[in-house]
Amino acid sequence: MALSAIDMQAVAARLAGDEVRGRSPWADARQRFGHNKAAVTGLVLLILVALYALAGEWVAAWPNEEIDWGIMGKAAEMGMPALANGHYFGVDDLGRDLFARTAQGTRISLLVGVVGAVISVVVGTLYGAISGYVGGRTDQIMMRIVDILLAIPFMFVIILLLVMFGRSLTMLFVGIGLLSWLSMARIVRGQTLSLKAREFIEAAQATGVPGWKIILRHIVPNLLGIVAVYATLLVPEMILTESFISFLGLGVQEPLTSLGKLISEGAGTINYGTLWQLAFPLFFFVITMFAFFFVGDGLRDALDPKDR
Amino acid sequence: MLSYIVKRLAIAIPTLLLLITLSFLLMHAAPGGPFTYEKKLPPEVLANLNAKYGLDQPLWRQMISYVWGIVAHFDFGPSFVYKDRSVNEIIAQGFPVTLHYGALAFVVAVASGVTLGVLAAIFHNSWLDYLAVGVSIGAQVLPNFVMAPILVLVFTLWLRWLPGGGWEGGQWQYVVMPVIALSTSYMASIARITRSSMLEVLTSNHIRTARAKGLPTAVVILRHALKPSLIPVISYLGPAFVAMITGSVVVDMYFSTGGIGKSFVDSALNRDYAVMMGVTILVGALTIIFNLLVDILYAFIDPKIRY
Repeated sequence: MALSAIDMQAVAARLAGDEVRGRSPWADARQRFGHNKAAVTGLVLLILVALYALAGEWVAAWPNEEIDWGIMGKAAEMGMPALANGHYFGVDDLGRDLFARTAQGTRISLLVGVVGAVISVVVGTLYGAISGYVGGRTDQIMMRIVDILLAIPFMFVIILLLVMFGRSLTMLFVGIGLLSWLSMARIVRGQTLSLKAREFIEAAQATGVPGWKIILRHIVPNLLGIVAVYATLLVPEMILTESFISFLGLGVQEPLTSLGKLISEGAGTINYGTLWQLAFPLFFFVITMFAFFFVGDGLRDALDPKDR
Repeated sequence: MLSYIVKRLAIAIPTLLLLITLSFLLMHAAPGGPFTYEKKLPPEVLANLNAKYGLDQPLWRQMISYVWGIVAHFDFGPSFVYKDRSVNEIIAQGFPVTLHYGALAFVVAVASGVTLGVLAAIFHNSWLDYLAVGVSIGAQVLPNFVMAPILVLVFTLWLRWLPGGGWEGGQWQYVVMPVIALSTSYMASIARITRSSMLEVLTSNHIRTARAKGLPTAVVILRHALKPSLIPVISYLGPAFVAMITGSVVVDMYFSTGGIGKSFVDSALNRDYAVMMGVTILVGALTIIFNLLVDILYAFIDPKIRY
């Protein structure tokens, strides 16, 4: 008897001692993401690219708009990347410092991508959640609108908008905003439909929580994982769209620049032996795209409940 | 089946009308008219011009006559910049070229993508599989406007095998690079989709049965596994087709092939709204028709689809 009393005490002490610490789903996801080498590499690259985009112009020896008159017109002979004259990435066709311009272009491209993703998150999530939660005829009409909009060749419409209302950054955001939320709305609606059938939503309805509050407090937080994944995958798509338009010379205008525009300028001069003008913007474009794809994939593995 | 097609048409037609109306209204909302020049025209001349092009009529009349012209006569009206040419003539000039290399790129992307995907799935976890996965990840970040300069750099400037641009009636050496530039990233997507769906199909019961009854591997793959694993690929063909038409804009600009994309960008730079709208509507119509065809094809191939 005495023995068993000591046992019990030991058990009680152990129970009191190491309390098992619970892990939240987010901590789980963080751990899964951390084990994914490609995703972590992508994240590190992304941070580096973002640092360059933000601080590059500050580090650069030349401002992005200033023409180096000593080199202008002799870009092929004297404008190559060099540490001595401060043009780390060389100069562009007009003799402007490519290091500063690439930093500026990367910043604009990232900005376009992030703005597109933010619009898609806000508009797409709300639209999809409302459509899925309300259901019935409203749902059908709302989704039919999305179907119709998805069938429109948006690249052409964005160009149409840019040409007609001026090629400003604002107009570019409007165009990309019009396009970006559509697929997000579809995904969110599908996810909402399955959430709606769960008990905790029924409980909320039974206790008389109003519909908009259920959507905002109970549906949307449960969508965050999938929304984060698709928003990350949307960023490179938006960057691609913007670069495409800028490549055609229809995107942002001087003195602004973007990666697509720099690639276009570099591609226009490959005949003259100034390969660095193509290589550096192309390098940052490819690295950024890769990084976003890997981070997106890693997030999907970490957060998407379907793949667990 | 018929009701399914009718239902799809019921979405397609309003979409097209909406697109036409939308681009028409956009054109009207745009600041500046087609006759806004640096030098101002005398008011009498402007009035005459407006009367000639029907711009003095109320908006709804203009809209109806524009939409009617397209729907009934396939007539996109006159160009605003080239006074002696109609939008139809401009489109008729560039469209065959676009269609020529666009169709080739489509065939190349589908054929090579499916082959690569199937091989990767059959030799799962071999070097071939890794190669296919590597290629498809790499090609994802090499869209047409990145591929085009790289191709010119390699094949024209370094190897001197191919001309850097031009069309010359579609001789093969002028077609190669546009087709590669246009098809790479779609080939990669198709390969990825085929690989994953093939992997799934290969583990299914009917394939095990086919193997168990002693069919040769080639027959198992070609007769029993290929068809079901192509279903997701077919649903990707709609978006891929659209993307290729869009991508042709870059090809036309970079390789000077003289297709419809060139007319589009030129009209965008010239503010020739009539041509821009014509091309947008044409591409929109093609998109809608192609999606419709893919949907119908889909329903034919996959007996599980209920309509």
